[in-house]
Amino acid sequence: MTAQATDITRTPSAKGALRRRLPGSLAWHLGALTLLAVILYPVVWVVGGSFKASEDIVGSLDLFPADPIVSNYTSLADGIADIPVSTFFFNSLFLAVGSVIGILISCSLTAYAFARIRFAGRNLLFTLMIGTLLLPYHVLLIPQYVLFRNLDMINTYTPLLLGKYLATEAFFVFLMVQFMRNLPRELDEAARLDGCGHLRIYWSIVLPLCRPALITSAIFTFINAWNDFMGPLIYLNEPGKYTVSLGLKMFVDQEGLANYGGMIAMSLVALLPVLAFFLAFQRYLIDGMATSGLKG
Amino acid sequence: MQQGRGVERRTVLKAAGASLAVTGLGATATACGGGSGSGDGTVTIRYAWWGAEDRARRINKTIDLFEKKYPKIRVKTDFQPYTDFWKKFNTQASGGNPPDVFQNAIGFLRKYDAKNVLLDLKEQVKAGNLRMEGFRAGLDTFGEIDGKLLGVPVGSNSMALVIDKPVYARAGVTPETGWTWDDFDEAMARVRDRTGRAGDSGMYGVMYLYDLYLRQNGKAFFTEDGLGFTEADLTRWWTKAEKGVRSGLFADPKKVAQIKPKSALSAELAGSEFTWDNFTVRYTSEGRSEYGLAPIPTTDGKRTGQYLGSLMLSASRRTQHPVEVAKFIDFMVHDPEVAKIMGYDRGVPATTAQYEAYRPTDAVNKAIAAYEESLVQAGVLEPITPHPNGADICEAAFLRIGEELGLGKRSVPDAVEQFFNESKTALSS
Repeated sequence: MTAQATDITRTPSAKGALRRRLPGSLAWHLGALTLLAVILYPVVWVVGGSFKASEDIVGSLDLFPADPIVSNYTSLADGIADIPVSTFFFNSLFLAVGSVIGILISCSLTAYAFARIRFAGRNLLFTLMIGTLLLPYHVLLIPQYVLFRNLDMINTYTPLLLGKYLATEAFFVFLMVQFMRNLPRELDEAARLDGCGHLRIYWSIVLPLCRPALITSAIFTFINAWNDFMGPLIYLNEPGKYTVSLGLKMFVDQEGLANYGGMIAMSLVALLPVLAFFLAFQRYLIDGMATSGLKG
Repeated sequence: MQQGRGVERRTVLKAAGASLAVTGLGATATACGGGSGSGDGTVTIRYAWWGAEDRARRINKTIDLFEKKYPKIRVKTDFQPYTDFWKKFNTQASGGNPPDVFQNAIGFLRKYDAKNVLLDLKEQVKAGNLRMEGFRAGLDTFGEIDGKLLGVPVGSNSMALVIDKPVYARAGVTPETGWTWDDFDEAMARVRDRTGRAGDSGMYGVMYLYDLYLRQNGKAFFTEDGLGFTEADLTRWWTKAEKGVRSGLFADPKKVAQIKPKSALSAELAGSEFTWDNFTVRYTSEGRSEYGLAPIPTTDGKRTGQYLGSLMLSASRRTQHPVEVAKFIDFMVHDPEVAKIMGYDRGVPATTAQYEAYRPTDAVNKAIAAYEESLVQAGVLEPITPHPNGADICEAAFLRIGEELGLGKRSVPDAVEQFFNESKTALSS
């Protein structure tokens, strides 16, 4: 195959090396391709399944439908339970984007304080914040629900967003603190000599340098918010306010008609925004790893 | 430098402002959720139920009818699939914010009564806002516990043996009223031998079926406050089950678990399955075969132990609008138009008025109606036995441990011990 084409450009000794490497390289690529096929199989199955009739989907291992139909997708246009599908997407997008903005602002501000400002009780507060990571979600569920109910915020998006604007996501604060601690203090000091206060150092020096950490946090926040099920389930009481993750659950119940086709078609459509967001930002992510690697 | 500081502060503030605006928008866009009464006397009640989109469309239509008849009452609905519904309901009930009216089932009545969640509707019946007359087959007393009316049945269902008709025909098995468990075992073997398919999908974990078996023998799954059978009883039931799984009479539990949420019957792993008769609606929509309803096997050739199970509507004790809730329930169970919209979606309608108003035209629902009628004619229906507080947890444990037994993760004595331990905890809380 390609060995012949490369023959022309290679020197005889390189040719020999190539010949010796070829079987290993072939085996390596074959192995990798097989592994890829195994990993991609479920995805392809879902894509194929979305063109099958409902009764042919679950329990069938066939990748592609015998006679493909598009009614699973076209039926989405009629909405789910009298609600247009776009409503769910808009709601999810609103929550996901709102969460990303909140996390970026609140967590980076908090992280700056922990990383750069000396104040009484800093270590204790930092430890406490890390401690909140150990609290299981289910312990907080009912107390939080009662709190938001007393604030009359049930059936609004506030309970799902408020925490994100108050830096309660300790993991992202921690991530950013660690990143900021690695930034050279000399930069801060130079800025201070030029007359900058904390806000200016935060905004003009630290934040731009933190871009990789910010982008990592943004990607994870977006995906988490998009996939969140328990939060919207508990706090939202009207199907019109539901997110995609709740909408997906409306297709099948133990009683009544089961619409697996609609469910699979919608889950594929629901994947697209997450995929788009990831693709748009992943090169910055790799970028960030490369630059931080150089610094180390 | 002063200037620089100003700019920087403004930018930061702008960013903060934008973020606040986002939260604010979320709050205002949805602020109407909390209040339930307004100036012109219009009252809003929350109605939650479990089901999928098909039921949602039907219920939305019935609510349009209701709001037309009672223009001063608005109804907001909320729905999830069964398990998510109870997760949400539990949180809401613990948080003191349950929906005003909700779909309920017999296994949850005592549980939520013990937690003071349910409203006693007796007063509303006395006040004439809710009529408890005109119910079929004694259904009017189904929601009564300790003299309190905690739920009003909307429809009834019975346990049945749902069969894959062509498979049974190929095996040459025709279940008849009054067939015994020995006949059933023989039938399972014939289905397996002649069609190469397991006879049953895994009856050993179905609490409602074991209840029927116990009732045929003068016992019941539950008593007022505990279990109505002994460890020896369950050991016998599960020993037989284990043998059935090993010899291929029952479908391979591994495969059954793999094809969830589809049922083993519609996935063509088994020839029949014990479940509620209205489940045929779903099986028909997910499977390719034709499904029929066969009678429950008996011990003595007569008693099937069957009773009507039912979905109910319950009200929450915290509701600010008990009168409106009662009128809503009354409308939903008595109005003939509602029956025409709902069909048999929540079982065969509970009141005669609704039963008369809707006659199914499709084969599946016709079969359900015929099955329910045959039960009445055969006179096998008995009064329902109580479901104590914790019954729902026992049911789930029975299913799970039964599955683990089938998968070979537990031996029979181990499974029995585990079930008795778990149910003791559940029933004593």
